[in-house]
Amino acid sequence: MSAHRVGLTIRYGLTIVLLAIIGAPFIWMVMSSFQPTSVLIQPDILFSAEAFTLDNYRRLPTQANFLLFLSNSLIVALASTLIAVPLALLAAYSVYRTRYRGRRTIYILLIVVYVFPGILLLAPLFRLFALAGVLNTLASLIIINVTFAVPFSVWLMRGFFNSIPEGIEEAAAIDGANDLQILWKMIVPLTAPGIIVTGTYTFVFCWTEFLFASVFLIDDDLKTLTIGLEGLVSQYSIDWGLLSAAAVMTAVPVVALFAFAGRFFVEGVTSGASK
Amino acid sequence: MTTGDLAATQPNSAVVTAGSSEPAELPVRAGIGRLFIAPLLIWLGFTLAMPLAYCVWISLTNANTIGGVPRFVGLANYITVLRDGTMSGPFPLSLAWAFGGAVLQTLMAAGAAMLLHRKFRGQHIARTWIMASWVVPTIVTAFLWRWMLNADFGVVNHILLSINIIAEPIDFLGDPDYAFATVTWVNAWRWFPLMTLLILAALTRVAPEYYEAARVEGANNWQLFTKVTLPFIQPVLYVVGLLGTLWSINVFDIIWLTTKGGPLAATKTMPVAIYERAFQQFSLGEAAAMSMLLALFLLVFAVLFIKFVPRGASEQEVL
Repeated sequence: MSAHRVGLTIRYGLTIVLLAIIGAPFIWMVMSSFQPTSVLIQPDILFSAEAFTLDNYRRLPTQANFLLFLSNSLIVALASTLIAVPLALLAAYSVYRTRYRGRRTIYILLIVVYVFPGILLLAPLFRLFALAGVLNTLASLIIINVTFAVPFSVWLMRGFFNSIPEGIEEAAAIDGANDLQILWKMIVPLTAPGIIVTGTYTFVFCWTEFLFASVFLIDDDLKTLTIGLEGLVSQYSIDWGLLSAAAVMTAVPVVALFAFAGRFFVEGVTSGASK
Repeated sequence: MTTGDLAATQPNSAVVTAGSSEPAELPVRAGIGRLFIAPLLIWLGFTLAMPLAYCVWISLTNANTIGGVPRFVGLANYITVLRDGTMSGPFPLSLAWAFGGAVLQTLMAAGAAMLLHRKFRGQHIARTWIMASWVVPTIVTAFLWRWMLNADFGVVNHILLSINIIAEPIDFLGDPDYAFATVTWVNAWRWFPLMTLLILAALTRVAPEYYEAARVEGANNWQLFTKVTLPFIQPVLYVVGLLGTLWSINVFDIIWLTTKGGPLAATKTMPVAIYERAFQQFSLGEAAAMSMLLALFLLVFAVLFIKFVPRGASEQEVL
């Protein structure tokens, strides 16, 4: 074998290892979800084809209100995204396409947001939300998700804004377009991939968020998927089969979405930077 | 912002105060710029600045999560926290967590990015595939690894035992000797895909001509990497290094959901300690003081990072 072939084989080998590191746990989770817990907890059996069962999935609706949790998660993620994307778009335009005193300070402040631990804001926000009457509503989650998703989203839009040619605003203005027309008819279409990227980022951020959801939502019928699943995990005796099924059902919607939209996200991030 | 990119954006501007921390920028569409940043600033004002100010106040009182009217106690909470072992337990552990995580994640992400950068069949699928661990909720991640690493019937122990690497099952998350490294790994598994993607994004910016030119000059692989690749991905590594460290120190969910800070405080980093203080010992004032100290530390870190770590010779603004 030539040196080139050896190198290629090593590359492919390592790539397969990489894909397995990510994929194997999920495959294992799916396999476990089709096994009764009684088989799962036998140390010497990894997987038994005879014991294949749909029982875990059948029991799921009686153990947890999955459809309700799912719709709560969707509402939070979609609403946060709808608020976060316009905020990030306007802010990105401001920091990347305009110049004014204090702009750079603001830009650095956007990164400094992440200096504050979510846990620091937990208690004060709990009190403030209670005062404002939004505690124990999905709105409380939407509000705080936007706060933590937007600053990084602005940075994600960096490449998309930098790739817009200089001076097109002035050219459009000479043609008689006003600021809103310039934004809507030129900037939005030119940064469309960036908008998809930040939208996906915000959606995933909200879908996976745990800390605030666990504290701000008190009523059972407001719980999101992550919190609903946690309810199953913390039961006194862990039902591994049922949990596997629940984890699969929690992961499926976002994995399905990402299988479809992920390509745009991945390509958006990688092409956005290729100024 | 460097002189170079100011000149690039404003070819006509010859007057630039080089060297000062904030060079005077000539206004470009200043009105619209201020207008467009306003919604976000107002939003952050209400959801970040206000609770932060409130947190400062709480840290100066004896507020608790049970009830009663908080009384002003001055710096008493800070003194308590500085003396009660927080600074010798959770704080250094947080530093180890951030450092270990940074090393592990950077290595994994850089390696993965190098592999997925080269064109091959299925490249797009592979790039999307590796994002899977980032898109699923942390609760699923935590469950997954608790299940796989279970000492009695987990698949990892099963495999390690059957190929005789170990003689006794390892309680990865329950043994104080292993828990910290294990949770570091789980957290890296969740976060390295996003970093991979950002590094990939930077690698795409390196035009092939640069490599060819360097090869013609007789550069070897190592020189190609240090002289061509690295300068291009440095601006991204810069932001990822800063944000990644901040995010990493503030990680709560993965640790809480896998070990709850145990066993024997082996994984009790600052966020976990703060959570316990506030919601298990009900001492809100002390928890607030701990958060303020942590935030202060991170702020100093961020300022030093921005001031001293080279951003990379980029034609565009990275931060």
